Formats: sequence, structure tokens, C-alpha cells
Amino acid sequence: MKALQIAVKDTLTRFRDWKALAGMFAAPLIISAMIGLAFGDLGGDEAPIENIPVVLVNLDAGELGQAYEDVLTSPDLATLIALETMQDPEAAKARIEAGELRAVIVIPAGFSETVIPDSHGNSGQANVELYTDPTAEISPVIVRSIVERITAAINSTLLAGQVAGQQAAGYAPLLGPAMGQLGAAIGAELQSGNLNLQESLLDLEVVSTGETGESFDPFAFFIPGMAVFFLMFSMFEGSRSILQEERHWTLQRLMSTPTPTWEIILGKMGGTFLTGLLQFTILMLSSTYLFGVSWGTSILGLAILVVLTVFAASGLGAMLTAFSRNENQAGVVGSAVSLVFGALGGSFFPTDGLTGLINIASKLTVNRWAMDGFLALTVNRGGLADIQTPILVLAVVGSVTFVLATLAFQKRFVK
Amino acid sequence: MSNPILQAQNLHKRYEKVHAVQGISFDIQQGEIFSLLGPNGAGKTTTISMLSCLLSATEGDAVIDGHSVRTQADAVKRVIGVVPQEIALYPDLTARENLMFWGKMYSLSGAHLKQRVAETLEIAGLSDRANEKVETYSGGMKRRINIAVGLLHEPKVLFMDEPTVGIDPQSRRRILDTVLELNQRGLTVLYTTHYMEEAAELSRRIGIVDHGKLIALGTQDDLTKLVGESDTVRIGISGVNDTDALLAALTKLSGVDHAALEEDELVLQATNANAHLSQIISAIGAASGQVKSIKVAEPNLEAVFLHLTGRALRD
Repeated sequence: MKALQIAVKDTLTRFRDWKALAGMFAAPLIISAMIGLAFGDLGGDEAPIENIPVVLVNLDAGELGQAYEDVLTSPDLATLIALETMQDPEAAKARIEAGELRAVIVIPAGFSETVIPDSHGNSGQANVELYTDPTAEISPVIVRSIVERITAAINSTLLAGQVAGQQAAGYAPLLGPAMGQLGAAIGAELQSGNLNLQESLLDLEVVSTGETGESFDPFAFFIPGMAVFFLMFSMFEGSRSILQEERHWTLQRLMSTPTPTWEIILGKMGGTFLTGLLQFTILMLSSTYLFGVSWGTSILGLAILVVLTVFAASGLGAMLTAFSRNENQAGVVGSAVSLVFGALGGSFFPTDGLTGLINIASKLTVNRWAMDGFLALTVNRGGLADIQTPILVLAVVGSVTFVLATLAFQKRFVK
Repeated sequence: MSNPILQAQNLHKRYEKVHAVQGISFDIQQGEIFSLLGPNGAGKTTTISMLSCLLSATEGDAVIDGHSVRTQADAVKRVIGVVPQEIALYPDLTARENLMFWGKMYSLSGAHLKQRVAETLEIAGLSDRANEKVETYSGGMKRRINIAVGLLHEPKVLFMDEPTVGIDPQSRRRILDTVLELNQRGLTVLYTTHYMEEAAELSRRIGIVDHGKLIALGTQDDLTKLVGESDTVRIGISGVNDTDALLAALTKLSGVDHAALEEDELVLQATNANAHLSQIISAIGAASGQVKSIKVAEPNLEAVFLHLTGRALRD
């Protein structure tokens, strides 16, 4: 099929153009990296892993609360954890929100009394609460591991105590030796990267601060944003190539060959689409490799969304080009639309807070629907069912613009 | 004798405000090189565009190898090769990649395509530089690849629209030799140019086009007979204040048929020019002009154009 030959030729030509490559790949990756650095979370966590700022709010007056505190303040963990103690859990949690802390451990009041069996062997349940920074990925896991290890050790001691049938007061002598070496053991396991999490009979409640408790990775937002933004530029530029071919007479030469005009137009638009598809795919792979961006768990949803985003963007580019008076006008209009769509459509900032006319205007952009889809997959970890509306809208936009562009080009070039 | 492979019949092309081609008719015999000679804007490219099915004729038709350009465009496109005036190539691709691509557009494929690419590269004399990007080529080399593209599918008729514009004399010579060689192999060529010498060298029959009309058509002998025994006199001048008055004075002289100014050169059509040179020089002196050079040429196509239009060919 000659349309495919034309599309492949256009893609090859585009990928040999260093300026075009810079716009397609270098610019979005560099800008995303700069934004990621500005957010201070490049690489997903602090590095090196030491002096993790943690607050212990020990409201328990008994032995168990003290046991947690002893382990956390042991010299073996001193390098790893920069522990502070506080008495107000809410104030401590506020410091996580402010970005000062990675975790807050709360031992509730009466914890020992509740958990340690009385003289009749009866005991209740209580939770150790762990609050973590949602923007950090590694340090919360480490703190949680430590707390779980302590909890597991206490749990073993409690079980031993029960078996021995000792009274509550007798647990203290047991806890001392059990906890004494725990700090060193945890430190060694962390160093070897082989920290074993054990099942705990005591509950450990882990809560990430923030409304949803979801971890926010700035790259998961900005990489799709920049990818869509620069895709629009690339698609408009690619669509303009048909007018460049007219200026250089290669279009006329194509039309002097026994190739139907519709097939030439299809090939030209197909080339832009193929270029966009490769651009977006390479950007996804690069961002995954360079910045650790996770594009979600739904490969099918992601594939459909990428194809339809490129389809809509290239269709829109083709339509604007087809209705432009000349190549220059197409360039100016394309750049303007790319910028406005980027700003309105959520390529630079989340559109969650948009209301009224701005929100309506935002929904008239390809970027908005594409971003809604990508954020549903990358940030919210959604699946195909969560992006049905965006993919439907993008499919309609792509289909309508492609048909209009084909008709307009046909009218323009058949003289 | 008559075996036309191309017959153009009363071709017209009208735009909103311009009647670009006004009833051009001619035919081309199989194996012939036929030239359309005329200044820029005469309608040559529009005529070739209609014959190539790039533009639809407002009126009239042309039949090429038995196929109408109006109703059988696809069949026409299979038997013609087109070499546009512009370098219609992809500069980011190598010469070989360009030829492979264009060959595919003519439905060539596989070993046959590769063979034709190799053969046309040979014709262009660029086999050894086939894998270099076209953007690195000189103007002459680009022109040669431009021609090679038109030959890929072994057309029966090759349309060449001013293929030597803007190149050095050496490359021009090479292209003219290539056209002659292709014609010797049996290829029919429609060649447009505004260079009288090219038309004269390549073609036995020539059509002269001006303002969208075919104003003369015939062999070179037929055409030069139109100007009788007139010689063409080219006089380099300077210092003339009122050139219109000078031209008017010159055309009143006995033996001078036409006078025109081409930059700093007077172009005169005069019978037995040598006998009238003294009068001509006096007229120039009377107009405060100085004569810098004088050339007298026997009747030629330029004289024909001047005779027919009152203007020099390159006006």
C-alpha cells in the first residue's frame, strides 16, 4: 500500500531531523526533569538513606511503649533514624504535611496495659499507629519495617510470657534482653538489604497522610503532561509537511504518479500519526527508565489511550493545516493552539480545581481528555474502565478531524 | 509518417482572473524531442501540468499513448515521466532512498525496483554517490537525480520542464547529452525551455509559446523562414537617457524590423544588418549613447520570437 510507504518515508525523514528530535524527546524530558527537581523528589526518595526524620509519640506509660522507644533510640539505629519525641500526635502529623518528617509513630495511651495479659491471662487489642510521608517511597518502608520488627519481637515475648504463665509485672525482665539486641539485628538486616517482615499478632496501623493516602509522584503527572504538550507540537509540525511538500513540488510529483490523491493524503496523515506514536512510546520508555515513572498497571488501557491521544492530536493538526491559507499560517495557528491547549488542558498543572467557563474551555482541548486518561492510569492506578470517557472523546475528535482534513486536502490539491 | 504519441487539442486553462493557456494544440511523434520555447510565464509549465494530469484542463483534451488526460488520468500517469522545474526530491534521504521511494510510487518493487534504481543512477552518473544525502549534492547533481526519478518506470514519454535552470554550464551540457542519449534509445521527450540554444540543439520541431498561446510551430527551418533574411544585432550600450525614444528612432530606420532593449543591450532585427550598422550607431550617438559591443547573428529562434512578439525572448 503506497500510503504506508509515504507514512514510513515521512517518519524516517522526521527521525533524521535533529531539530525535530530535540523537540520531540529532549525538550519534554529535560523540562520534566527540571520540574521534578523543583519538587525535590528526583529518584523518588531522599538519598543517601540516613537520618530519616521520625517522631515517636509515646503516650503509653508502660513497658511496651518504653520498649519501642529503647529500640528506636538504640545506637545501632542512630545513623539511620533521627528520632524526636513529641506528646501531641496531631502536631507531629502536621509536621509530615509540612515536609519536615518522613514518619510518625504513635503508641497510644494504655497500650501496655491493654496488650499485656492480666493475672487471669486476659488481654485486649491496641494499635500502634504509623503515619508516613506520601511523597517518599523508600523511607516509609524502612520505618515500617523497623516498627514491625519491634512489634514482632514484643509479640514473641508476650507469647513466651503467656506460655510461662507469668504475671504482667514479670514481662519487664523478659523484654529487656529481647529488645536489647534488636536494634543491632535490624541495623544488620537493613545493611544486608534483607529485612524480614514478620507477621505480627499486634496490630500495626499504617496511614499515609493526605486525603487519599495515595503516593504522589510529580513525574507521574508532569511526564504525561509534557509528553502530550510536545506531542501536540510535533503533530502540528508533522501535519504541516504536506504544505512543505507542495512548496517543494514533491507533492505535485507524487500526484503525477499513478497514486490516488486520497492515498497520498492518507499516507501523509499516517506518517504524522506513526511519528507521534513512536514519539510517545519512546517518551514513556525513557521516563520509566530515567525517572522511574510508573505508567500504571493497565497495559491495554495505556496502549489504547496512547493510540487515541496520538490519533486525536494528529487529526487536529491535519485539520488545522488543511484549513490554513498557507504553511506560515498553519505554523502560527499550530503553535498557538499547542500553547493554549497545553495551558488549558492540564499539561502544566492539574485541572481538578477548574470550574465554570475555564473548566468548559479545558474540556474542549485534546490535552485535557488525554491528561484525564493518563492521570487515571498513572496517579490513580485505574484501569480501562476508568478511562472510558477520555478514550471515547479522543476517538470522536480523531475521527471527525481526520475526515474533515481529508476532505479539505482533497479539495485543496485536486485542481 | 504521422505516428503521434501525444496529441494536445485546444487546451485551455482559466483561473479566476487569468487565462493561462489559450487553446494550445500540438502533437508529438513517437521518438521525437519536441520543445516548447517561451519566456517565463508564457504557459509552458501550465501546459505540462495539464498533460501530467496535475491540473485539469478547463477546455480541450490531450491524448497520450491512446489515453485521455481528462478521463484516463491513471493510465496516462503510467506512461509518462515527469521532471519538474523544481528539485522535487527529499533532501534528508539519500539518492538511492529517493529513487526507491519514487519507484514504489510507480508500483515498482523487489528486484525490478532495485535494478531500475541502479540503472537510473548509472544514467545520472551518480552510482558512486548513491548513498549520500541529496542535500549534500551540488545543484547539477540534484538535477540529474531529479531526471532519474522521471525515468524509473521506463515511461514512453518524458516531460522535462526547464531541467537546466540554475545550474553551471558543465552540468547543463551533461543534461542535454543525457536527453539526446535517452532519445536515441527511443524515448519521446517534451522539453520546455526559455533557452533558444537548448531548443535549437535538442529538437527538430519547436513550438513557440507566449502569453498562453502557441504563436508558432514547426521545424527550425520553418520558423526561421518567418523572419526572412533578418539578422539579429545585439549592441551593448550605455549613457542613453531616453531608451523609448531611441527604440522608436531605430525602428524607423530603413532595414530595421524590430528593436528591443534587454538590460544594457539593444536587440535589433535587421535585414542585411551589416549594411545598416552605421545608421544604427549614429542613432545611438544622437541619443547620447555609447556603443560598447556589437554582435551580428544569422536568423535564429530568438529572431523569430522577436519578430513574432516584438520582445526579446528573455524579457
